[in-house]
Amino acid sequence: MSTAPLVKPRHVARSTLAVAGSLALPIAILAVLFFGTAASPNFLSVSNLLNVLTSMSIIGVIVVAMTFVLVSGGLADLSVPATVAMGAILTLALQPVLGTIGAFAAGVLAAGGAGLLNGVLVGYARINAIIATLATGTVILGVAQWVVGGVIVYGADPTSGNLLKGRIGGVPTLVLIFAAAVILGHLLLSHTVWGRWTRATGDSLPAATAAAVPVRLVSAGAFVLTGIASGISGGLLALTLQNARPGIGEGYEFDSITAVVVGGVSILGGQGSVPRAVGGLIFVQLLTNVMTLMGVRTPVQGLALGLLIVAAVALDLAVRKRGGA
Amino acid sequence: MTQFLLWAVRYRVLVILLTVLSVAIMVVPGFASPITVGLALDRAASMGLIAVGLTVLLAAGQIDLSGGAVFAVAGIVAVVLQPVIGIWPAAAVGTLAGLMAGAINGFVVVGLGVNSLVATLATLLAFRAIGHWITQSQPVSGIDIMVALAISQVHWGVLTLRAGLFLALILLLHVWLTRTVAGRNLLALGSSPEAARSSGLRPGRMIILAFIGAGVLAGGAGVLQSLAVNTGSPVFGSDMTIFALTAVVVGGTRLEGGRATALGTLGGVLTLATLTTGMEFSSVPAYVQEVVTGTILLTLIVLDRFARQQAAMT
Repeated sequence: MSTAPLVKPRHVARSTLAVAGSLALPIAILAVLFFGTAASPNFLSVSNLLNVLTSMSIIGVIVVAMTFVLVSGGLADLSVPATVAMGAILTLALQPVLGTIGAFAAGVLAAGGAGLLNGVLVGYARINAIIATLATGTVILGVAQWVVGGVIVYGADPTSGNLLKGRIGGVPTLVLIFAAAVILGHLLLSHTVWGRWTRATGDSLPAATAAAVPVRLVSAGAFVLTGIASGISGGLLALTLQNARPGIGEGYEFDSITAVVVGGVSILGGQGSVPRAVGGLIFVQLLTNVMTLMGVRTPVQGLALGLLIVAAVALDLAVRKRGGA
Repeated sequence: MTQFLLWAVRYRVLVILLTVLSVAIMVVPGFASPITVGLALDRAASMGLIAVGLTVLLAAGQIDLSGGAVFAVAGIVAVVLQPVIGIWPAAAVGTLAGLMAGAINGFVVVGLGVNSLVATLATLLAFRAIGHWITQSQPVSGIDIMVALAISQVHWGVLTLRAGLFLALILLLHVWLTRTVAGRNLLALGSSPEAARSSGLRPGRMIILAFIGAGVLAGGAGVLQSLAVNTGSPVFGSDMTIFALTAVVVGGTRLEGGRATALGTLGGVLTLATLTTGMEFSSVPAYVQEVVTGTILLTLIVLDRFARQQAAMT
């Protein structure tokens, strides 16, 4: 985009910055680990770290899908809280009728349908993703509440959450689900044609179109993925908590975008990977955990995260501009 | 058919407003009475003030998603400072907080070069957090309930202070956008930033000023709201952005910049006010109202896209 001439020093600057960029995240995570250990005696314990890992698992599933949205140049999916609520409310509301598995599947399916609506609007009608998902989010959340008459839904079978709250082979079930999502997402984004198409679409829409990449399908697909992932998260959340409020997914859109952006996935699209986004998630979650252990109040944490997004995005833009990319 | 569609899209504000109004008058008994109209206008005013700022920003090709959060924070500031410096100075400081918020948005967008959608999404989060921080997530009360009564006083049968302010600003905006050089420049900037820059405009300064204007309006609306209910709360204005955005888009202002109409925004705000008041009077639950508003916004955006493709082809 930049009109700067491509002279040598800029290339040098870019590669140095690129190296610094790829090392920044591991260093930052290490720094938080050291800082946390020094700040609180409870931080570096198996139980605390396992807690952090478990609590990031549910949103982690969304982070994996949100990576596809950003890489494909789709900016962000703001309807996530609504689709999470849709998945959660349907899972518990349909549980008495369809059984736990059936209700969960129905919730995920409905959330996927909401994702499809986003995908059609963004991919095919080419409407700005933030505006489109802001509007669909309002509609989806309204519909989810409408279905159950605007009340909080409680679980009919308290034992249905036990498997999720338990462990398999010593590892919390939720963490295993998250790990599966990460592996699948990574394979899809970095080792398949679909992933290559996703990067190409985000990198340059005209170029990708010229190269016969099905750009509309690819942009739409990213939103279907976030819909399904949010539905899964919502269902898991509802089964774990045994209740589903309309506001159950509040903040999940910002938290997942923060993780992806802090992980160094460019908001401009075209590059990024699932492991990077997961790295961003780990960093943000550890940071939040340290702040909580140090007694920093939640609103202050929110402020810190807002600043973190601005800083990460501004840094990314600065790096890209200087690189002449 | 296409001709008719294009016509309907061009004058859609009027078509939609009249449709919604006649349905409301038929369904809700006494909807056309001065009391109901005054009430609808008063509740529309807060959203309307934010919509005015948004119209200016959209004209310049930018957007501000943080309006609802600025609305809440400014109101909180105006309420918590009341015991310290008095009611009216506190109100001024609250509005000033809105100005600061707008300046921050402008700085992030112009200074740091961050896309305004992303920038104001992040500041939305930060401003909300500040609101929760100041109030410890509890609603805070003002010191004098009489101010609330004075603010909510209805003049000439239908107009409250903020409704009057909103209508006056809409007229000013209309004149500014259509009759002044600055207004035309802003639209030029929105329709083609490159052309505007090469013809000697200073886009950075104009955009920062537009953000500051939007901040002042959102802040002022928040202060008036907090004074009117004698309360400040961090959750005020949470669905304000989507409603204001819908109002502006219903009015025919383009999300991509370059086309903005003040009278259209007025029509959009009145439509939404009629819609929400009408639905509330018929005891339609809030979540159904959200479905209706969201669906209207979506339909219009899709229609707009379709109409422009048609126009581009012919």
